[in-house]
Amino acid sequence: MKTTSFVEIAQYALGALKKSGADKSSCIAKKTIRDEFNVEANAFTLMRTTFDNSLVLTAIVGGRRGVTAINKHDKASIDEAADACVALAKSSEPDDAFDIAELVENKVFIKPEITKDRDGLFARIREYLGQVRDEFPKIIIEGFSSTLTDAEEAYVNSNGVIFESRYDAYGFHSMFVAKDGEKGTSFNYDGASFLKPSTPFLDSGMHRTLLEEAVKSLDTRMVDEKFTGKVIVTPACTDMLWGTITDNFLGDRALIEGTSRWKDALGTQVADKKLTFRAAPLNEPHIITGSRWTNDGYITRDVDFIKDGVLKSFALGLYGAKKTGKPRADTSTYHCEVLPGDIALAEIIKSTERGILLNRFSGGSPGASGDISGVAKNSFLIENGAVTDALQETMISFNILDALKNISAISRERVTNGTTHLPWVCLDGITVSGK
Amino acid sequence: MLHDYLTAHKKHFADHTELRAQVNTSKRVVLLAGNMVGNTQSQKSGISARMYRGGVYGFASGAEYSPDSVKNVLKAAAENVRFMDDNIRRGEPPLPKIKDAPGKVGLKKPIFDDIPQSVLIDYAKNLDAFIAKKYRNLSSRTVLADTLYMEKLLTVSDGADSHSFQPRAMVYVWLTTETSDGVPVELFKGFSHVGRFDEYFCDHAALESELDKLYENLMEKRDGVYANAGLKKCVLHPDLAGMLSHEAVGHTVEADLVLGGSVAAHNLGKQVASEKISMTDFAHTAFGKTCPLPVYVDDEGTPAEDAVLIENGYLRGFMHSRETARHFGVSPQGNARAFEFSDEPLIRMRNTVIHPGTDKFDDMIASVDDGYFLVKTGNGQADSTGEFMFSVDLGYEIKNGKLGKAIRETTISGVAFEMLKTVDMVSDDLAWEISGFCGKKQSMTTSMGGPALRCEMNIGGR
Repeated sequence: MKTTSFVEIAQYALGALKKSGADKSSCIAKKTIRDEFNVEANAFTLMRTTFDNSLVLTAIVGGRRGVTAINKHDKASIDEAADACVALAKSSEPDDAFDIAELVENKVFIKPEITKDRDGLFARIREYLGQVRDEFPKIIIEGFSSTLTDAEEAYVNSNGVIFESRYDAYGFHSMFVAKDGEKGTSFNYDGASFLKPSTPFLDSGMHRTLLEEAVKSLDTRMVDEKFTGKVIVTPACTDMLWGTITDNFLGDRALIEGTSRWKDALGTQVADKKLTFRAAPLNEPHIITGSRWTNDGYITRDVDFIKDGVLKSFALGLYGAKKTGKPRADTSTYHCEVLPGDIALAEIIKSTERGILLNRFSGGSPGASGDISGVAKNSFLIENGAVTDALQETMISFNILDALKNISAISRERVTNGTTHLPWVCLDGITVSGK
Repeated sequence: MLHDYLTAHKKHFADHTELRAQVNTSKRVVLLAGNMVGNTQSQKSGISARMYRGGVYGFASGAEYSPDSVKNVLKAAAENVRFMDDNIRRGEPPLPKIKDAPGKVGLKKPIFDDIPQSVLIDYAKNLDAFIAKKYRNLSSRTVLADTLYMEKLLTVSDGADSHSFQPRAMVYVWLTTETSDGVPVELFKGFSHVGRFDEYFCDHAALESELDKLYENLMEKRDGVYANAGLKKCVLHPDLAGMLSHEAVGHTVEADLVLGGSVAAHNLGKQVASEKISMTDFAHTAFGKTCPLPVYVDDEGTPAEDAVLIENGYLRGFMHSRETARHFGVSPQGNARAFEFSDEPLIRMRNTVIHPGTDKFDDMIASVDDGYFLVKTGNGQADSTGEFMFSVDLGYEIKNGKLGKAIRETTISGVAFEMLKTVDMVSDDLAWEISGFCGKKQSMTTSMGGPALRCEMNIGGR
């Protein structure tokens, strides 16, 4: 295999770690050049270019582990970081669960077409600002950034594992409000990643819908009572369900601590059978930012966490797996999808007597109990089978574990933003309260 | 310590230019249920240049710091500002000069040698062992020891050049227990100081009384009840009032967010709070003492001054960068700060507090017949409308003027300028909180504080 300069840098670092006394070691070397355009209050404000390096060293000495990270690639800096890393490891506590990946297969991941089309990206931003100005005159783009990232990266470890990657990627993130005189809405935000700047930003994912809904939210209504109803979680509201599940019930920390309420639930029904929730970093073209290897040194794969409502896998890394005796997932939880249902969104809304269309959730990070409460933002009331008014100051509270067993419908339609691929999910039995 | 390769370039600056070298160094040790799952050091260093022309900025940064790399970064920033100015043509005039700026503001705190990682490791291990031995009925525990040192060297085309050093030391403790039916219940406390880690964290027993209290609170929470949802009379602990000052009010009066549609835009000069409320973003000195995170010069070279935000209930001003200050016709006060060398300065809070009042805390509790005492918040968010949300990790019922049962995790929310008008008692004490980071595009160290407040608050529950 022909090696790049980044493999050579990483291998030099491995040599330095060995010379300093490491029994086992790994290194990730990366170089990133990023162009970024910023917009505030609908006007361009800044263009920046950042040239950055990173080098992450891990050393295991006598079962003890240390990690150092620097942003230099010169030999003197690497030697110094390697010495520091080994010293860290020696001062640490021994733990049999510290390890590095074994050699299975070395691989090179290079995006077939590196375009680095900065002018194309700039043209898309101008197009976007023009479209927003013409189609949504009441929208203010509060903060916007769009990036072109050009990255080269290598992972190597002392078991002989070598991965290399080269890619460029485009993306935008837009935070916006609607404003009409002194009337204004809550902010909302959206973004997407692309392989090329070939699609208008306004046409990506739910972006146009979210802008339309922001304008509709200039007039809001207060729910003046407390009721129990349905909440339709849109694909824009990602973290409340899917982020919470992976962090609180599937990940290393929750399982090592034993606080995961699913710690003994593998193979059992934890959700309604309509739900299949999976990590899908390889699911192109819907998910295009998925990492190709884990920081532990394994090639990533798509993994079903919950299939037909049954818990199939945790999201454990190498350390968590060794610590708990449960299998590794070798995946990226950040890149996830939920499989579609067999009913149209319009039908789900039509069958909802009273509930909420939830676009954004502003709430505290839920604890290990799964109890969640927070404010429904940029959201709408559903009454007698129709979406009616935008909501103001409306709180929802529920337990996520109970709610997963109470999914009444999953939409046929799904939305992708390059990182996730999600449908609308209708949860029943949610407490809704106004002021 | 950073060598000065920057000043030599100052005479060549054509447009408004900021040239900054920076090193962020951090160390971290994490013990999860007694396992040392984290033992890391990281250092990020480099330089950046930002130039202003015609209403737009060009920015560039690089990880190398040498005479040649300074030239390269200046060249890249110049190309970017030219590209933007040529394409956008906003036609704005140059930024106003800073009047009467001092030549160079030197280090206010000497740069000290970093401590060895073993200091953090030993401290974390001893603290973890102490917790494991003393506190029964825990199902898990996490101890995190952390340091962050930030050194900056700044040269600007006009204004104040500066050399600053801000060291922060932090210890975080999470305790977890379970209810009788196996539901996990958690509580967290952060301890943070500005200075070297071992100046403050040398003997874990010094935290014993605070940890006793944390454990006691956890046991009370384990047996807690769900709050009743709705609008309630509440007493907010000073820690929570500090979060309120930062999230619910502070962000809405950052001038970039004002221009982006914040509710504060239409409220300047108007009453937005009870007359008992005054709020200031202090630069470096508050109530006669040095602030927890003093800022003397910001990253645009503006000498830092206090920003008066609310005075006796009236909204008096916003926080500014040099550009937004020009837009609003006021003087900048030093709020533009950047977190890493590769970040551009953004409008950020520094030491934001609601001023203490005259009421006694015990009288405030005694005055509530049926409500809640809200103590700890895990996190919070604010909106451009002034709507805010905080999670409440610890709180108690107040019944007939006395504290009652603890409540389970819940959320409070409201509209800042409406809620602040309901404040009718303000305690005569002040508590600072500096253990967190603000996350507005970039992370940033900030401090916040306040007294206890009695007000009406919308509380979640079941």
